[in-house]
Amino acid sequence: MKKWFKSGSPWIWMTGGAVSLSLVAVIGLLMLIGWRGLVYFWPHTIYEWHITENGKQEVVIGELYDDELVPSARVRAMGVELPANVGEVLTRYLVKTGNREFVSLDFRWMLETDIQQRIEPKDLAVLERSTNGNFYGYVQRLVVDGKPLADDVHKALPEHLQRVRQINKEADDLQKGDIGAINYQLEKLRMKERKLQLNNEWNDAAKKEFADQRAALDKEYQVLEKHLFALRDQASHDTLIVKDMRGVEVSIPLTQVLDVNWPNQMGLVQKIGHWFHQIGKFVSDEPREANTEGGVFPAIFGTVFMVLLMTVIVTPLGVVAAVYLHEYAGKNMMTKLIRIAVINLAGVPSIVYGVFGLGFFVYMVGGSLDQIFYPESLPNPVFGSPGVLWSALTLAILTLPVVIVSTEEGLSRIPSAVRHGSLALGATKAETLWRIILPMASPAIMTGLILAIARAAGEVAPLMLVGAVKLAPTLPMDGNFPYVHVERKFMHLGFHIFDVGFQSPNVEAARPLVYATSFLLVTVIVGLNLTAISIRNHLREKYRALDN
Amino acid sequence: MINVTPTLSTSEAVDLVNLSAEKTALEVKGLDLFYGNKQALFNVGMKIPKGQVTAFIGPSGCGKSTLLRCINRMNDLVEICRIEGEILLHGQNIYDKRVDVAALRRRVGMVFQRPNPFPKSIYENVVYGLRLQGINDRRQLDEAVERSLRGAALWEEVKDRLNENAFGLSGGQQQRLVIARAIAIEPEVLLLDEPTSALDPISTLTIEELINELKNKYTVVIVTHNMQQAARVSDQTAFMYMGELIEYSDTNTIFTKPKMKKTEDYITGRYG
Repeated sequence: MKKWFKSGSPWIWMTGGAVSLSLVAVIGLLMLIGWRGLVYFWPHTIYEWHITENGKQEVVIGELYDDELVPSARVRAMGVELPANVGEVLTRYLVKTGNREFVSLDFRWMLETDIQQRIEPKDLAVLERSTNGNFYGYVQRLVVDGKPLADDVHKALPEHLQRVRQINKEADDLQKGDIGAINYQLEKLRMKERKLQLNNEWNDAAKKEFADQRAALDKEYQVLEKHLFALRDQASHDTLIVKDMRGVEVSIPLTQVLDVNWPNQMGLVQKIGHWFHQIGKFVSDEPREANTEGGVFPAIFGTVFMVLLMTVIVTPLGVVAAVYLHEYAGKNMMTKLIRIAVINLAGVPSIVYGVFGLGFFVYMVGGSLDQIFYPESLPNPVFGSPGVLWSALTLAILTLPVVIVSTEEGLSRIPSAVRHGSLALGATKAETLWRIILPMASPAIMTGLILAIARAAGEVAPLMLVGAVKLAPTLPMDGNFPYVHVERKFMHLGFHIFDVGFQSPNVEAARPLVYATSFLLVTVIVGLNLTAISIRNHLREKYRALDN
Repeated sequence: MINVTPTLSTSEAVDLVNLSAEKTALEVKGLDLFYGNKQALFNVGMKIPKGQVTAFIGPSGCGKSTLLRCINRMNDLVEICRIEGEILLHGQNIYDKRVDVAALRRRVGMVFQRPNPFPKSIYENVVYGLRLQGINDRRQLDEAVERSLRGAALWEEVKDRLNENAFGLSGGQQQRLVIARAIAIEPEVLLLDEPTSALDPISTLTIEELINELKNKYTVVIVTHNMQQAARVSDQTAFMYMGELIEYSDTNTIFTKPKMKKTEDYITGRYG
């Protein structure tokens, strides 16, 4: 035994064990959120149960969501009549019935003892809708312009659906793009007008000019609006008649239907295809129903945009600070204090940064900017309210210590022989830094950046105060000059997870989305990290020093 | 006496005490150097002739490298170093307050003991000094690269791989690259601080031959541990001991008829 200890083996087992434990924890976490999230997109079988609840016969159609075991004693204590031959525990099933506007709850529990029969009719369809969630039922027929279509609905439906989708997309593009641009210009016109009024330059000539411009824009708006209404009208010609679980025939306008599927008829390959399609929609669509349905594209965009903006801010700031501390600062108490302060910055809780960002950046700096540059917009704040710029700045300060420390580390690793060689050729200290030292330190700077990105992309608490919102009407980047709008609020994946998980009106419906979004966030961060790591490896190759 | 072949130089022995101003490249006058409170150089004075090779020899720690580094003010990088006295480069004191140190270092180049090429391509290493001066014209740079690499006896070996990383070269090649880099900016004086002590004998020989060529265009000052090397390459030799200049005259005299006892003791190997 002693020999085994002395041979060094326990050390190997211990270190290997620690690494394995960490790996298991990480992979376990990823698999958990991955499984629970990605299962959401799989087309589940829709069942039809015939049950007797409280003496009443009912038909329940829906997806089997969850099941749990309950002690029968408890069930009896709640006043439910149970047959004598049940065991100690019962299973009860959670079924997603959808059809929100027709039934009281779109999730319901069923006791196994109430179930008479469960069938899987091949004809059961699930309709994905733009309002009120999913609908489960039997598709009966299409009604076009008030006249029922004689053709087989299964064959005719895809074509009609595609047509309606296209019209809706055209209408959406029109609304967001062209009409949005006109609204933007009208708003700018109003700002210009107000500015002239404030400067006492508001005379009759100006009044007339603005009135003319406004008239021209209004005219354009009318034309576009007419077109939009025409398109919307076109889309609402078709209706789908579906029989729901109560046996009632329900009319659903086709313009509300995003997709129709018959999962009980799908083969494995089809299901896999559908799964990929749903994931694709998840990352490219906008959210609906208070973020409990739809996609998360604006959140992805907001997160990446904010992280990139933060990187652009923190890199020069951190590198320059590190260069000062390492190259120019004297070796005295003042420098020591500065270093201590920098290192302590890393220990400040992130919510404190949020409060600082709100007070200093948003109210003080933003408010001053508004006073100086946008007086015509008051009392509506432009920069004096939370936005993506202030968020990026707040997170830049949060991650600054990491960048400074790793840059300094990189600078100190550079052999002084190279420095002396450059100086001996007549370079000044600044030239040596810029041409030789900083490029050689760039792998270390990238390391600092990697750590900064990883930390910033996951922080939510400060962002809640300085710019992230539940639903942002526009992206920070669009087609209107100046194309990048850093004063706008934005959506963030981390905040989205918090919002969907804890503040949504329908927690059951939202839970898989929480997992899916978490998995997506991890993927986005891994993606950003891998990019930074590959850049760093490339730089390492390029600038490897002699003794490495 | 020692078994050493006297210098290969064919120039006549110069009168080092009464050297005329046009023939003087550098004049050191009453130089004292302090590292904090410790004095490292004691009242050094000498005139270094133009277009010749001058060697500094002496035991370890005698101050020869320190003196060399004074000539291009590399000692300024050491915070606690303090200089009193003057060094005149073509008549102007380089320690004058108005002197631009970077400009000085363009006129006085230095090659260090261990080769220190930059982590760039061979081409970019050689043109580094030229780019610093704002010369970015491709043709001018190409010309300078060929001229410098030929001058450093490296052209034939690297002319086909100018864009490769300089670290791919061997030690001797890297040192020649560093010499090429130094002469690319056409300095007036070239300081070599033990340039071959980290190299193998063949590379050493190549560089010694190179030094013989270099003195046609530049004034060369070389610090060396290797007495035989000093005897082979230099025209003048200065012997230093414990921060003092003990003896300074033409190489022939130093190695065959040294005047001071300390010099004789050193070159006969009694210490050092």
